Amino acid sequence: MRKMLLLFLFLVLFVVGISCAYAAEEQKSSVMITGYQISPEVLMRNDIGTVTVTVKNMEPVKSINIKEARMLGRDIKVLSGSYFNIGRLGPGESLNLSFTIKAGYTDGIYYPKVLIEAEGAQSIRYRIQVKVDSTPLTIGVKNIPEDIFKGERARIEFVVGNPRQNTVTGVKIVTEEKEVIPLEVFIGALSADESKVASFNFTPQTKGAHVLNFKLEFKNGDNQHSADLSVPLDVTESKKSAELILTGLEVESMLGMNVYKITGDINNAGLEEAKSVVMKVGDTEGIEAVHPYKAYFVGLLSPDDFSSFELNVKVGENVTNVPLIIEYKDEDGNLFSKTEYVSIERRQTTSSGEMPVSMSAVLVVIAILVIGAIAYSWKKR
Amino acid sequence: MIEVLTNPNKFFEARMKGEESLKIPAIIVLISGIIGGIVAFFMWGIIAEMLRGTVPPEAQGFISFMPIGSAIAFVIFSLIFWVVFAAILFGISYLFKGEGKFKRTLEFVGYGYIPMIFSGIIGAVLLYNFVSTAHIPVVTDPTMIEDALEPLMKNPMRQLSYAIGILFMLWSANIWVFGLKHARNLSTKNALITVAIPVAAYILFSIYQMGVM
Repeated sequence: MRKMLLLFLFLVLFVVGISCAYAAEEQKSSVMITGYQISPEVLMRNDIGTVTVTVKNMEPVKSINIKEARMLGRDIKVLSGSYFNIGRLGPGESLNLSFTIKAGYTDGIYYPKVLIEAEGAQSIRYRIQVKVDSTPLTIGVKNIPEDIFKGERARIEFVVGNPRQNTVTGVKIVTEEKEVIPLEVFIGALSADESKVASFNFTPQTKGAHVLNFKLEFKNGDNQHSADLSVPLDVTESKKSAELILTGLEVESMLGMNVYKITGDINNAGLEEAKSVVMKVGDTEGIEAVHPYKAYFVGLLSPDDFSSFELNVKVGENVTNVPLIIEYKDEDGNLFSKTEYVSIERRQTTSSGEMPVSMSAVLVVIAILVIGAIAYSWKKR
Repeated sequence: MIEVLTNPNKFFEARMKGEESLKIPAIIVLISGIIGGIVAFFMWGIIAEMLRGTVPPEAQGFISFMPIGSAIAFVIFSLIFWVVFAAILFGISYLFKGEGKFKRTLEFVGYGYIPMIFSGIIGAVLLYNFVSTAHIPVVTDPTMIEDALEPLMKNPMRQLSYAIGILFMLWSANIWVFGLKHARNLSTKNALITVAIPVAAYILFSIYQMGVM
């Protein structure tokens, strides 16, 4: 009987103990991390990003006091500190908590931990997957003319590709080359495995080898990145461009010895049209263009065509050559300039030089004749 | 007639015995005027050519008339100037108590124009030679005509023409001295002074034109 009593007591205590333990277990509330976001989705080396975790109170009727939230990482550096005394989270409510992280110098997949401690609830330890991949955007020449000619506009096309797993933003190509327009082409956002084309116009003014330097800039999240591209080119003279030559040049004195009228023909011996052809007198010392033809507008000059022109110039005493500047444009509006020289011959017939010997002899003969006649008349008086 | 050039004293002495006649002197002055008119024709031809670019099309006819107009005007002016010059000499000789009719003075002054004919012929030849070889500048601004004419006026051919003109003027002056001596009954010295005053003024003016223009 005593043994029976002891067994009964044990069973009662066991049942009570079990019940109490069960009751105590039921009092621990439930808090969960229902999701997280990483921006940018994939970091590059040394990038700074943010991790936003969503904490949700899973209790149907009971609110929970969140005491502390923090992130721990070994290979991923956590820049932001812990959250303390965050506050009560109502039943079914969720809360976003953000942490700032910084990638290291090695690509890979990392798992920093998020710890959540709540009053009356179990602590949560949650591992977050952070990828670090430093694959940059790619830039390449898509299309470029086989021959690039001096003074002619050449269109260069680039293709920019995104081999990364995430979208990058603010993609643009910039250059500081003076002969390239525009200096910047904005592409915008580029999704994973997407590519876009950007084009530039290059108008070289000199022959020979050129190296054009371009810079591809983009943002991964808030992190600025760039890649350089050099494009070597060989610029040659065009074989088909307009070729303007002057013929039938005549220099005529206008005002005394100083002002001359220069006339002639301008011919297009090339294979392309020369547009907006203008002739001017070079502005150098001792040479001054004067009205009415300080400059002469010829206009369009087709291949194998010619036009007459007239220019008026005032020259100094020592000037023997006058520079004539021929300016014209091609069909793309590129301006070309060429200088030809015209020699000035000073005409003796209009000069105020010394009296020639033959004239002096005539004068002497006449003087002798007149003086002789006068002397004779006085002698006969 | 040749005697008036070589021995004007004897020529005028002989003419004093006859009646005053302006027929031959007038012809001489007219010939001289015509030759001067030819020279004027060439000169204004050059100027008209220069001005052609400055005048509107409707005024081109006037430009074309300028050379012949100036030649006619010169001939008329020569006849008027003959009378005026004779009057000047007549007036100056009056200061030396000269006596005689104005018609006689006018007649003898007219004979003095004979060397001017030679001067005019030589001047016309020189000017024609100059015009045919010279490059005539084209003036587009009327205000720059003076600049354009400057090298033409300083041309050696033109200066030679002036110098020859002065020499023949001296020859004419010599004739006028003896002409005035008889026409106005002056001493040779007074006749010389009478003629020297206007002739010296003319020569000085010619030298000024040679040097300054």
